[in-house]
Amino acid sequence: MPVGPRAVVLVALLGPASVRADHDHGAMQAGPSSFGASIAFVAASFDTMIYAGDYQSVVPSARWSNERFFVSAGLPLYRLLENGRTLYGPGDAMIHGRFVALGSTDRARAGVALGVMAPTGDPLTGLGMGHVMVMPSVWGTVRRGDVMLAGAAGFGHALGGSTHQGHGAWPLVEPMNISEVTWTASGELELAVALRAGVVFSGALPVGEGNTRAVTGVRVVWTEGRVETTAAIQAGLAGDPFIFRGVLETALRF
Amino acid sequence: MRSILIVLALVGCTTNVPTPTGTTCPDPDPNTLTYDNFGMQFMTDYCIQCHDSALPRSQRHGAPLYHDFETLFGVFVVSGHIDERAGFGPDAENAFMPPDRCPSVPGGALDSNCAQPSSEERRKLAEWLACERDRPHTF
Repeated sequence: MPVGPRAVVLVALLGPASVRADHDHGAMQAGPSSFGASIAFVAASFDTMIYAGDYQSVVPSARWSNERFFVSAGLPLYRLLENGRTLYGPGDAMIHGRFVALGSTDRARAGVALGVMAPTGDPLTGLGMGHVMVMPSVWGTVRRGDVMLAGAAGFGHALGGSTHQGHGAWPLVEPMNISEVTWTASGELELAVALRAGVVFSGALPVGEGNTRAVTGVRVVWTEGRVETTAAIQAGLAGDPFIFRGVLETALRF
Repeated sequence: MRSILIVLALVGCTTNVPTPTGTTCPDPDPNTLTYDNFGMQFMTDYCIQCHDSALPRSQRHGAPLYHDFETLFGVFVVSGHIDERAGFGPDAENAFMPPDRCPSVPGGALDSNCAQPSSEERRKLAEWLACERDRPHTF
């Protein structure tokens, strides 16, 4: 039985429960092998203990999927205002893969995922972590009628690098701890044939030194043919990942 | 996937990041470098245009809060950061600070090239910080 697109869209939202994964939206993985591309626009404000400001980013990404695998790669490009200084530059590149290990229908599915972030962003200015981050996770989804629930738990760990320059979670644009346990829980309701809305909670607990992080958000997903558009508003609940953040992403499946 | 991880790890290892200089204070402490005869002037010449507690966030040009160097206490509490960003020593030569452009007056526009410490001044900075950490203080 072919994999339902709604299930996999939600799965696509369940990368490692980093803040970054919250806007890894829009993957349409509806059965046969296909390539896709997306572009996301992000705007956020932040106010940490030592930095305040805002950032905007454009995140182009490419993706491939079939019935059981999904792989994406993206590179965010930022404008960052931090304590009166404005910077432009790339953030850390992200490669993310997921595998459907259990289940072949929308009703219940589960799998594993692996995210890898490469240090393409400048760690000195708050655009990058300064080290490779590896983030394996497990995920599952359950669908009953028009409601779909999903959850994921993972572990993020830095390879190389050391202290985040003593600033705890880093960088400013996508803060993560050197080592952390991550989680995501979400629910989504089908409002119409092509329109869904949902709520997401995600966060991280540091392993060793670091900051506990929690984020919530609401989103609306509109699907029209091969194009899917997601709009999300997020709020930081703990750990100062951001105050508010807005994400608008459009994905196209070729 | 393994190949990808190896490549990414190599990328991470080659990233130029702030590194502790590994500088140690001579034993016994010769007291040749102090805040009064070295540190205060160094901070005045190269740092406090942005790292001053009197500056609001909007005028700090990216300098983080609580990294204020107009007092010995302000330097002392983040001496490791200063060593990693501006010090030279046996393990690292860090020239991340000062940046290229600076305000000519504290909090002003970035209208001038930043004065840069010499290599010898950066080595003295690392040694002074190493010695200052072990000295008795009353703050």
